[in-house]
Amino acid sequence: MAATVQKIPAEERLFSLVLALLATDGGLTKREILSTVQGYRQRYKVAGDNASLERQFERDKDDLRELGIPLETIDSPGDPGNNQNLRYLIPRGSYELPADIRFTPEETTLLGLAALVWREGSLSADARRALLKLRSLGITATEPLLGYAPRLSLRDAAFTPLNAALEKHMLVAFEYLKPGETAARARLVAPLALFQHQGRWHLFAEEPDSKLTKTFLLRRIVSAVTVTSTAFPAPPPGQGERAIAELDAVWNANLATVEVEAGSDAAARLGTRRGSTVTANGGLELHYADANILADELAGFGPEIAVISPSALRDAVIARLQRTAADHG
Amino acid sequence: MAEPKAPKLAGDKLAFLLSLVPYLMDQGRVTVAEAAAHFGVPREQLREAVRLISVSGIPGETATYQHGDLFDIAWDDFEVRDEIVLTHNVAIDESPRFSGREAAALIAGLNYLAALPEHADSAAGSALMSKLARGASASPTQLAVEVSQTNATLALIRESVAAGVQLEFDYLNARGGRETRRVDPLRIDAVDTDWYLRGWCHSREALRTFRLDHISNATVTTDAIVRRADDVSLSDRLFEASSDDLVVTIEVAPGALPLLAEYEPELVASGTEPGESTSRVRAIVRVSHFHGLKRLAASMNGTVTILSPPQARQIVKDWADAALSRYTVL
Repeated sequence: MAATVQKIPAEERLFSLVLALLATDGGLTKREILSTVQGYRQRYKVAGDNASLERQFERDKDDLRELGIPLETIDSPGDPGNNQNLRYLIPRGSYELPADIRFTPEETTLLGLAALVWREGSLSADARRALLKLRSLGITATEPLLGYAPRLSLRDAAFTPLNAALEKHMLVAFEYLKPGETAARARLVAPLALFQHQGRWHLFAEEPDSKLTKTFLLRRIVSAVTVTSTAFPAPPPGQGERAIAELDAVWNANLATVEVEAGSDAAARLGTRRGSTVTANGGLELHYADANILADELAGFGPEIAVISPSALRDAVIARLQRTAADHG
Repeated sequence: MAEPKAPKLAGDKLAFLLSLVPYLMDQGRVTVAEAAAHFGVPREQLREAVRLISVSGIPGETATYQHGDLFDIAWDDFEVRDEIVLTHNVAIDESPRFSGREAAALIAGLNYLAALPEHADSAAGSALMSKLARGASASPTQLAVEVSQTNATLALIRESVAAGVQLEFDYLNARGGRETRRVDPLRIDAVDTDWYLRGWCHSREALRTFRLDHISNATVTTDAIVRRADDVSLSDRLFEASSDDLVVTIEVAPGALPLLAEYEPELVASGTEPGESTSRVRAIVRVSHFHGLKRLAASMNGTVTILSPPQARQIVKDWADAALSRYTVL
């Protein structure tokens, strides 16, 4: 055997692993994989210690699962529980896109635009790979009449760990500063969905003991998010839609009345908000989900608006303006 | 046009290989140029991938990667004519499924854009979403985004783009004034719930970004446009930097910095004045005028403070004082 080991690029090893695991019907043992698959076999020692190669294989398995490649294991019938006899395979039916799932050129255009939305943050890699798979089908997208560059911002540091915990159904721990409170409190919750409502990212989650669901604004998570090793059962689909509907109910129930200077920036932005109505005496009725967030927003409009009701909102806006004036005096 | 950049991650390269094989099988014969354009990758990256595929395969019965266990391509066509023909195929028959996260990202993206005229058929939209869910290897992660509402101006912009003519409208600028603008529409941008028109402004002889909700009385003119989308390169930065920009120093709570990303704040060393807060960082931002900052500072009060120049501080103070005066007369 040659003393120098030929360097095989990671993508060649991973590609060879996928091919080998797709081609096998009964599965391959770890030993078979390490001793025969391109990229491993060059480093495999027949009578030696293969610990580092085994660690490589563990990382590679994680990488494949990260890409959504369904890697499965079969326990040896004669020797259950023995890791050495575990057989690995990629079942064709779970790997291959079903033949009836194909996309028209128009659908391909829409999907291209939908992927483009995730240009920021951790979902951009997922969106990019989804596009590769879409292009794999060979359909050419239709040119849209007008160029679009829509984008969802993903600037909250909490998003990436929460999304990982969401996928693996693991409890998460973080410190949360509740609107209106001055000290953050530690939370331990089961993440059910991440959702964007009125341009802000929220976490919909369940408290493990009380089973109560809560909605958290990602912007108010003030610590790093810890993904625990405690799993919980996967919730039924539609949690994000449920969370949006619940927040919409709050939104619809909360009503503020403000005076708005006609033709101003405030009039343009607030007047076109969902559910905004002009009252008989020229005021504007606005819906909102969170009084503190609305107070911040309204303070930004300065003299273009004045809050009429509720009085707590009015006081909150005045307090913010006084603070701004004092900080810049 | 500049060639797109090659990906660096092994995972991305693997996804590319697994996507490329079924495409090549379907195509029968395809030029490197066409395949590279289809996938949006540099040609050399495509050639490298084809070379890798051609020497890859399965260990096979002998566990030694015999010739019949490997992919093969028509080498003459590849080397002489820069064309790809897969002549032997191994293990792969179909395109891979989407991952749960990938399907979730596409579904949420579709929902976000559901109000665009391109999505007019909502039944088709939900059929598309369910196809994505069925085409995923795991249930899509639970990710949801509201439909972003656009307005009637979008239809007029589309009309003027289709006709290749200029659009005229009244625009409410950041200083609160109204003026008539004439624009060659180039692109529609959106950030979360806000929609923008990027265009060549004839009144300013420059590229400008307009908020859709600040546009009123839009009319499709009969004058041909002078700039097309292909003529200009538009970055993701909505407001282009200019040498005339004003430099403003701000103090900000570190946790709030990402919220100012649009302003591209540059951190600067803090001063050593006594009593200065240590829980804040200093940054400079460049703006074309101070009027956007007064809105920002007032809406992020307690989190963002303008330190200098004095003129900018005064504008913020005046803004807050004027607002407060509305409450003393109520």
